[in-house]
Amino acid sequence: MRNTFTMAYRGLVKIRRTPEQLFDVTLQPIIFTLMFTYIFGGAISGDVASYLPVIIPGILVQTVITTSVVTGTQLREDMDKGVFDRFRSLPIARIAPLSGALLADTVRYAIATTLTFTMGYLMGFRPEGGLGAVVVAALLVIACSWAISWIFAFFGVIARTASSVQGISMLVLFPLTFLSNAFVPVDTMPNWLQWFVNVNPVSHLVTAVRELVNNGAFTSDAWISLAGAAVIVAIFAPLTVRAYMRKA
Amino acid sequence: MTTTEHATHATHATHTTHATRPARWPLADGWTIVHRNLLALKRNPAIVAANLVGPIAMVLLFGYVFGGALAAGGDAAAYREALVPAAFVLVAGTGLIMAAGSAALDVQNGVTERFRSLPMQRIAVPFGQAGSQLVLSALSLAVMSGLGVLVGWRIHTDVWSAAAAFLLLLFFGYALSWVGIYMGLLIRNVEVVQQLSAPIFGLVMLSNAFVPTATMPPVIRDIAEWSPFSAAITAVRDLFGNGTIPDGPLPLAHPVLTTLIWSIALIAIFGTLAARRYAKRD
Repeated sequence: MRNTFTMAYRGLVKIRRTPEQLFDVTLQPIIFTLMFTYIFGGAISGDVASYLPVIIPGILVQTVITTSVVTGTQLREDMDKGVFDRFRSLPIARIAPLSGALLADTVRYAIATTLTFTMGYLMGFRPEGGLGAVVVAALLVIACSWAISWIFAFFGVIARTASSVQGISMLVLFPLTFLSNAFVPVDTMPNWLQWFVNVNPVSHLVTAVRELVNNGAFTSDAWISLAGAAVIVAIFAPLTVRAYMRKA
Repeated sequence: MTTTEHATHATHATHTTHATRPARWPLADGWTIVHRNLLALKRNPAIVAANLVGPIAMVLLFGYVFGGALAAGGDAAAYREALVPAAFVLVAGTGLIMAAGSAALDVQNGVTERFRSLPMQRIAVPFGQAGSQLVLSALSLAVMSGLGVLVGWRIHTDVWSAAAAFLLLLFFGYALSWVGIYMGLLIRNVEVVQQLSAPIFGLVMLSNAFVPTATMPPVIRDIAEWSPFSAAITAVRDLFGNGTIPDGPLPLAHPVLTTLIWSIALIAIFGTLAARRYAKRD
């Protein structure tokens, strides 16, 4: 456990030394929120204020989930640079570099979450659910993104290059985040698309966050999201660890 | 003759060649560069696909996922038809990034230095790069038109208006490619140049491509209404018969004229800057 925290600290030091690593978690929520709200808000919801309760949870989920890709790409970069070969020679738990990296990335998710809610607040979004519900929603998104990061960590371990990890991940994430209810109501989409959007796990997470921040309700969608996260960890954590141990 | 004398003699010879060449030679030299770039395109046809990824994704995403919510009266089919001309303009915008990437790659690989050492007109290289980008844009527009037909886009005007629309798109794309060439020569790094795709897409977003400017807040609306992309999109929609000219300020009231003025201004400014930048050794 101590080794894991040490490796997580290493991840945070890396961020401090190269703050441009945080561009995705800082710029993306700001640009996306401004762009979608001011350009499309009027056309979708009639006015900007009415669109904020819809878009802020959507942007939050999209940004934080997209950020989880970094886990895989950085893992692959570290393995390519031979840093992990050095770790192997140290008297530490072999799993520590992997678990440490995953733990450090929760800080990135927390930054993205805080920034998105702050941005929404500055634009006039007032969550009806109250501060407690906002904190629970933030923790839910961070937990689900941490679970998803195991998938990308697995890609990071098995892929050949960091760019291929990025490519595969975006191929998976683009349809999941955009073919969801994150930006527009499901009933405005064609029937054949509505079916996919309704079964899309990202849609469940977005709905769960919306219900929490706007109504303070922990609904079935939140339980589905947590169950989904648990299933992902149950499948991908052993796969990633096994693949990592084979290579490390 | 010493080595120094040899070098001096060679330099004089080069300068003489540059000075005494006829005025038509920049075109001939430029065509050679176009031919060279088209050979690269022939060897790597994936470049056309790369030019179309953004516009195709935009049509599918906005046409089917967001279309119902953004369309006036929920008419997604009519919305898609108005969206395709915006995708054509985005093809022109993508051409800017492709031109910048091509120019930056030539600098990075030392090809530009080789061209500088040849007895050819200085303007010919950027001129040739812009020319080859024009051919690439024409190919991309042809493919994009086919996709447009598949998603329900149709031309509702006569053949002359449609031809004028395609020519206007090519001219606007050609103007943007000069902006790209200048940026490529300035940045000189392909990885950095590729980061331009987000701001370019942002500029297209900040126009009437996806939603009428009337639905935007005042400041955003003003920016969108005076955007060259809005003028080009409105002009193309009007020429294809995919939408009426909206009530708005001067650029949207006379979109064809505005697009032509923007294009000529961009070529004049960035053509000069690109030529100067190319001639400059650093």
